[in-house]
Amino acid sequence: MLSRNRWLSAVLLSLVAVLLVVGCGGDDDEGGNGGGGAAAADQTLKWGLGSEFLLDPGLATDTTSSKILSNIFDGLVKLNNDLEAEPAAAESWDENGKVVTFHLREGMKWTNGDPVTAGDYEFAWKRALSPELGSDYAYQLTGIQGAAEYNECENNCNALRDKVMVQATDPQTLKVTLTSVQPWFIEQVAHHVFLPVNPKAVQAAPERWTRPENIVTNGAFKVEDAQPSASITLVKNADWRDAANVKLERVEGRIIVDGTTAVQSFEAGEVDVLDEQLPPAEIPRLKDTPEYELYTGLGTTYYGFNMKNITDINQRRAMSLAVNRRQIIDTITQANEIPAKGFTPEGMPGFEEIVGEGSPWTPEAGDIDQAKEYMAKVQGPKQKVAIVTNEGDPNKDVAVALQSMWKEIGVDSTIRVMEWQQYLEYLGPPPPGAVDLFRLGWVGDFVDDINFLELWTCESGNNNTGFCDKEYDALVEKAKATPDDAERTEIYNQLEAKLTGQDGALPFIPMWSISYNNLERESVKETFQINLLDQVDLTTVEIKES
Amino acid sequence: MTAFIIRRILWTIPVLLLVIFLTFVMMKQIGGNPFRRTERAVPVAIQQNLERKFNLDEPWYVQYALYVKGVFTFDLGPSLVSRDRTVNDIIREHAPKSLELGFYAMLWAIVLGIPAGVIAALRHNSIFDYGLMFFSNVGFAVPSFLVATLLIYYVALKWGLVPTNGWTTWESKILPSFALGLLPMAYFARLVRGSMLETLQQDYVRTARAKGLRQRRIIVRHVLRNSLIPAITAIAPLLGFIITGSFVIEVIFSIPGIGRYFVTSVSSRDYSVVMGITVLTSVVIVLANLVVDILYGILDPRTREART
Repeated sequence: MLSRNRWLSAVLLSLVAVLLVVGCGGDDDEGGNGGGGAAAADQTLKWGLGSEFLLDPGLATDTTSSKILSNIFDGLVKLNNDLEAEPAAAESWDENGKVVTFHLREGMKWTNGDPVTAGDYEFAWKRALSPELGSDYAYQLTGIQGAAEYNECENNCNALRDKVMVQATDPQTLKVTLTSVQPWFIEQVAHHVFLPVNPKAVQAAPERWTRPENIVTNGAFKVEDAQPSASITLVKNADWRDAANVKLERVEGRIIVDGTTAVQSFEAGEVDVLDEQLPPAEIPRLKDTPEYELYTGLGTTYYGFNMKNITDINQRRAMSLAVNRRQIIDTITQANEIPAKGFTPEGMPGFEEIVGEGSPWTPEAGDIDQAKEYMAKVQGPKQKVAIVTNEGDPNKDVAVALQSMWKEIGVDSTIRVMEWQQYLEYLGPPPPGAVDLFRLGWVGDFVDDINFLELWTCESGNNNTGFCDKEYDALVEKAKATPDDAERTEIYNQLEAKLTGQDGALPFIPMWSISYNNLERESVKETFQINLLDQVDLTTVEIKES
Repeated sequence: MTAFIIRRILWTIPVLLLVIFLTFVMMKQIGGNPFRRTERAVPVAIQQNLERKFNLDEPWYVQYALYVKGVFTFDLGPSLVSRDRTVNDIIREHAPKSLELGFYAMLWAIVLGIPAGVIAALRHNSIFDYGLMFFSNVGFAVPSFLVATLLIYYVALKWGLVPTNGWTTWESKILPSFALGLLPMAYFARLVRGSMLETLQQDYVRTARAKGLRQRRIIVRHVLRNSLIPAITAIAPLLGFIITGSFVIEVIFSIPGIGRYFVTSVSSRDYSVVMGITVLTSVVIVLANLVVDILYGILDPRTREART
């Protein structure tokens, strides 16, 4: 018995010893190899996707789906690096007041052999508007005459469907009549809700046409396989109109929901690019690695005021002045966001003209002295405020930081953290009297500032502050009717001034522009780009020799 | 015995009705909007369209009746969030993976936990016994997500032995099932050790030894069977742990199972999926309890007597 015990102990001890040696012998990840100039033999991109995808352009709402859709379907236009519309399936277009006419290329084909026609786009757009489909993004199409009425229809909708003014006047021509002149419409058409679908495929299997065995696409890549919630495999579509310039042969996407696991998967070499899911806690460590990549996003995070409670403009100014955005970004959020200078986000075309030097109320590192000055001017200040925010890193920590910053100017605050859905319901509009400040953000749908500035109209369902200025609303309408970019930018400047300018009402505290932090292997880093709208164009990606 | 089984199966119906009712009430209470994904407010017309499409504009008793009807006709309706799939699709595509995960986890727990408990009892107060109880405590105390992340970091990333995530090759199934099986493993080890130690003190064991039976025959024939009974009864509550524990494991290891879906469907307010998965889980637990009770009857003749 005794000897057996000894033997057993010896085995166990040596096992432990082996484990320790192997574990401690672990080395750091190899530094990336320099991206060479030559193309790799195997042009397969392994992509770690952050969420489930939905392959229906009419129904998809998340950016992961959007990234895939814009590469398997061919839209009329696409956005170039300067976010201007470029010809895609449409080789040209004419803008004549409210009428926009797209001219499609000839000879384009669906993967089932059908020719791609303007009728496919008409079908898809009307489908996205149809009340039966209940598309979340139908609102993007309501700039078209007859669209809103069709979308809101309750019965006998087919008559209204025919009144939607998007018509395929011939197989190569799509005529669109808008409700008013909308200078940004062409850029908007790059959104995935405007992508075409194959009418035959959709009608043959309305609930199941997106399955890999049924799906019919017309883009640069086609779906070889898709496992729900697990993976998707795309292969190059050799029949695509510009296939000669597409370098990638294959894209293997696998869904990795958890941020930490995604980073580990990348470090283990299982995927070559991620989908911006870096956990904030890991960013400081990853920032200095060669695979780290930072992109600006078209979005602004802000803390809104309940203007019914915080009525004095000087208190709002003081509270905004007290915020040290730089400190919060450097020590709490750590995602390299850009401190906000106004509501319009960095990267918005015309940013310099619209925002100018920036709001006097948003100094990057805060200005406690000035904040105290303004606070002193307030008659009957609200000294106890209730902050409410939604769950998730790092929202609570940011709220705590704000709490201490506002304490310095004599404002005590309580923090309440709510679950996302309940939070959204809670905020209304209008928000309940119990809340004074709330954290929200806005991410742009298309690249024109009207998308941001029209949030603050009196009737906007996205205006939870209670800010209502008839002049502001009138200016917004004026901007919508101004086709000239330079003139419109002037109006945007006035609108921004009404919000965050010297005499602005400051219904919210702009915090920062959002950023996308990603990991990309050096073999692919140069060509894999995420644009402001969180889109990736796989036709420009090439894997280099490493 | 058959009457017993039939009676138990019939009991599942009122249980299901109660579960559906409670789930329904709770989902209504927590509010939220299944059609709102981001900060962007849903335009009123679209909200109305969607509510009409999914019968959410009907009075609550009509909605409840529709759910009950759906459950008993096995048509659990469309998903409110995964718009190209029905709840049946989701269950059919994802439940098997979770069942597999749970099965392997239980297998780890039984194959490692029970023998460990037996050996610890036989080598009572030895270094093995103390070592085992130490690891068992670790298994209880350390949360599964921490263990899972550590395992991925060391075994998958540093040593490169297995993939870091997914549920595809057999290698990818090792870590997640092990991580999920850790707590049941610890539980079994403790349980079996305790009940064996107790059984070994029993009079009939002394008698058997006095009769001259060999140690091994005593253990296998007499002691083990009695010691395992508490372990068998523990399977049912452990199954509950495995089902809920799988949510975390599935998220961390990116396993496309039903657990992950369940958690996300609650936060995104996908009512039909929540209802469908809750019902499925209840059925599984009720059936598992039934199987355990039958096993119990087989193992312990005293229970069998009591039932007939």
